[in-house]
Parts: sequence; C-alpha cells; structure tokens
Amino acid sequence: MHSWVFDAIGTRWRLDAGTDIDRSAVLSLVEGFDRIWSRFRGDSEVTRLRTTGHVDLGEHAPEIFALYDRLHRLTDGAMSPAIGASLERLGYDADYTLTAHGEAVAAFRWTDARREGSTIEVDQPVVVDIGAVGKGYLADRVADLVGEPVTVDASGDIVHRGPQPLRVAMEHPADPSKAVGVIEVPPGHAVAASAANRRIWGEGLHHILDARTGRPASDIVATWAVAPSAALADGLATALFFVSPERVLDEFPGVGCAVIDRSLRIRAIGLPGEVFR
Amino acid sequence: MRRTARTAVLTAAASAALFTAACGSEAEQVDPTPAPSASPDDTGDGDDTTGSFTPGDYEATGSYQTPGGTQSVDVEVTLEADGTITDLDVEGNAEGGNSEQFQGKFEGGIDAEVVGKKITELDVSKVSGSSLTSGGFNDAIAQITDDARA
Repeated sequence: MHSWVFDAIGTRWRLDAGTDIDRSAVLSLVEGFDRIWSRFRGDSEVTRLRTTGHVDLGEHAPEIFALYDRLHRLTDGAMSPAIGASLERLGYDADYTLTAHGEAVAAFRWTDARREGSTIEVDQPVVVDIGAVGKGYLADRVADLVGEPVTVDASGDIVHRGPQPLRVAMEHPADPSKAVGVIEVPPGHAVAASAANRRIWGEGLHHILDARTGRPASDIVATWAVAPSAALADGLATALFFVSPERVLDEFPGVGCAVIDRSLRIRAIGLPGEVFR
Repeated sequence: MRRTARTAVLTAAASAALFTAACGSEAEQVDPTPAPSASPDDTGDGDDTTGSFTPGDYEATGSYQTPGGTQSVDVEVTLEADGTITDLDVEGNAEGGNSEQFQGKFEGGIDAEVVGKKITELDVSKVSGSSLTSGGFNDAIAQITDDARA
C-alpha cells in the first residue's frame, strides 16, 4: 500500500494506491486543471470569460458541460456553471471577502451560451464556477492516472477502485465527531457529500446557490450521493439541495442518495450501507 | 504477512491507531529498516538533523470494538525523517465482518430522525460530510507518526 497526502485546489487529498504513485504527474494534472477552471485565479481560462466572449476551456470541457446540462435539467435550472457571479455577489470571491456586496443576482442563463466542443462563446461577461462537479471530476481523473487499485479521497469526495467495498461514515451535520450512518461504497464507485455548513460566512449565506435566484438553497443541510463516477456523485450531492432523492433516481437509475433537512430528518434511498436508528 | 482485502486494510488501520492512541500503547519500531544509516540504532549519533522522526519501519498492534466483538489488527508503516509515510501495511485479524449484512438495507428507502454514533466507535475507513478533513483516519495516522517522533 502506497499512501500520499497533499494539498491542492484548496483542499486536502489522500491517495492510497497499490503501486508507486507518480506524484509529479498527479500534481501536473491537478495544476493543469486549476489553471483552466479556477475562478479564483487571475490567469485561469474561465477568468478570461469575464472580459472575453470566446474561450477554449480544453479537453475536459465537453464532459463537464455535458454533466452540467443533465444537472441543469434535473434541477429545473437551479444548477448552472454560470453561478460564479452570484457567488461573488454574496461574498464568496477570490479575496474571500465573505461579505455580501448587494442583493442576490440570478446567474447568467446558461442556455444562452454557445458551445462547440471545448469552446464557449457568450455575449456578456460570465463568471463560470464548476464547484458542484469540478472536485469530483478531478478526483476521477487522478484515479485514472494512478491506476487500480486506488482510493482517491479529496476531502470527502471519494473515488474507490479496489476489490472490496469501502466503508465511509456519514458525518453528522451538527457534530463532526458523530456519524449518522455508514455508506459501503462498491468497488468502481464514488461517494460525495455536500453540506450547507461546509462553507458558510453569514446568516443564511453559504456556497450552494440557486442559479434561478442567486440565493442560497434552504431546507436541506447535508446530502450524500453514490455513483459510478465522483463527478456525478459530486453533482448529485448538490442537486439534492434542489430536488428529491426519488427524482434523482428517476433521472439517474442506480445511484444512491441521502439527505438531511433542517429538522434533522434523514431520507435515504438506493444507498448501500446503513442509517443508524 | 497475510494481506486482507484493501477495504478491510484501511478500516483496520484507522481503528487500530485510534485504539492505540486511546490506550496509550506504543508503536514499536521493527527491523529491517530501509537503510543502515537510517537505523533506529543510530538515533543517538546526531546524523539525523533534518527530520523530527526516526526513519524506518514501525509496527503497532491494536484492538477495537465492533458489534461482533473485539477485533485486532497489526499496522506497519514506513516513515521518512520528515514524517512522510512511504508505505503502509495492515494485517487485519477480523474474520467475516458485517459488510454483507449492511448491503441493501437502504434499497426500500429510509425516512427517519437522525441518530448519531461516535465515529471512533465505528468500523470505517473514511468520513464524508461537512468538515474539511477526512476525519479520524488521518488523525489515526498522525498518532502513529507521533509515536515515531525521534
């Protein structure tokens, strides 16, 4: 077993692999991804969309945007990669001012963007933020690079490609020393979690925004999703703030979901594992 | 060394190290060490001035509670002087396990009040949720490295 812990794209990563890990290759992959997609970097490609109407976002763009298209439909427009301006308006900006600059703003209508392959063309400045799927997608690519068997843990977004299920505790949204259940991630699957209190900086302000209004989603405080890829699990963990687990399973058969609402009631369906009762 | 399946390996490591920390038992350094110059026998000669750890192989045995009773594991790590773990092996002594019986319990759907259990009492290898760490597992590894501080 070869283990490696490192920090990248603002989060802690842990890799457990069956063979030597090519660390420089992993770091190169992560840096290359960040260089294109980071909303917080002045030199990133997505940053150029603030001033330029036409940008090529590289090899990963088609798959990422195809997933966002499905999530956009699933959530009736609540999820959009154009949510960045709304996030910045509420203070989740490159300088981490964490101070709302004004009223919430709805996101640029993503369906108005013209896309062809990896290029995107818009008629007005757009702040792209792929936070709902980006970390999971990158975890998938890191797992591809390292090769099986491997477990990639990007601080809770976990890709598991090993011979046996991986037992993952579902952290209690109000008490990190406790778990509300255990998910058994099947080999070749991934789990992702999202929580309204993960990045919170003011009364009612957190990072999960409804693109239709630019306001934080409410009612749900924590979600989990298990899916064949971490990109999908990551995206669904956010989608579950807007649509029911049953509707998610209708659109994505075979995935597993759990949500906890503000009254600390948990609903789970399709997940391998156990919820404590 | 008998290698259990990968999942069990990580699971056991977290539980073992947490138990080790809780009970004050100490990790023991074992031979062979990666290189003669890094031998634990050389710790007193002052050559190792850059790292805060004595590099080499370490082994710890711990036990932990599961719903099925007390289980034990052997954890072995290879440490570099800067504390980096370059290799990790765990021999899990647990037989069977309750993985199968957990499978599929969610299939019909669950709608219930949340009940929390202490993560340290669970037989898990990862934590997924709102905190920004992977929970106890990394902490457990930190405990082993603490034991190995020169």
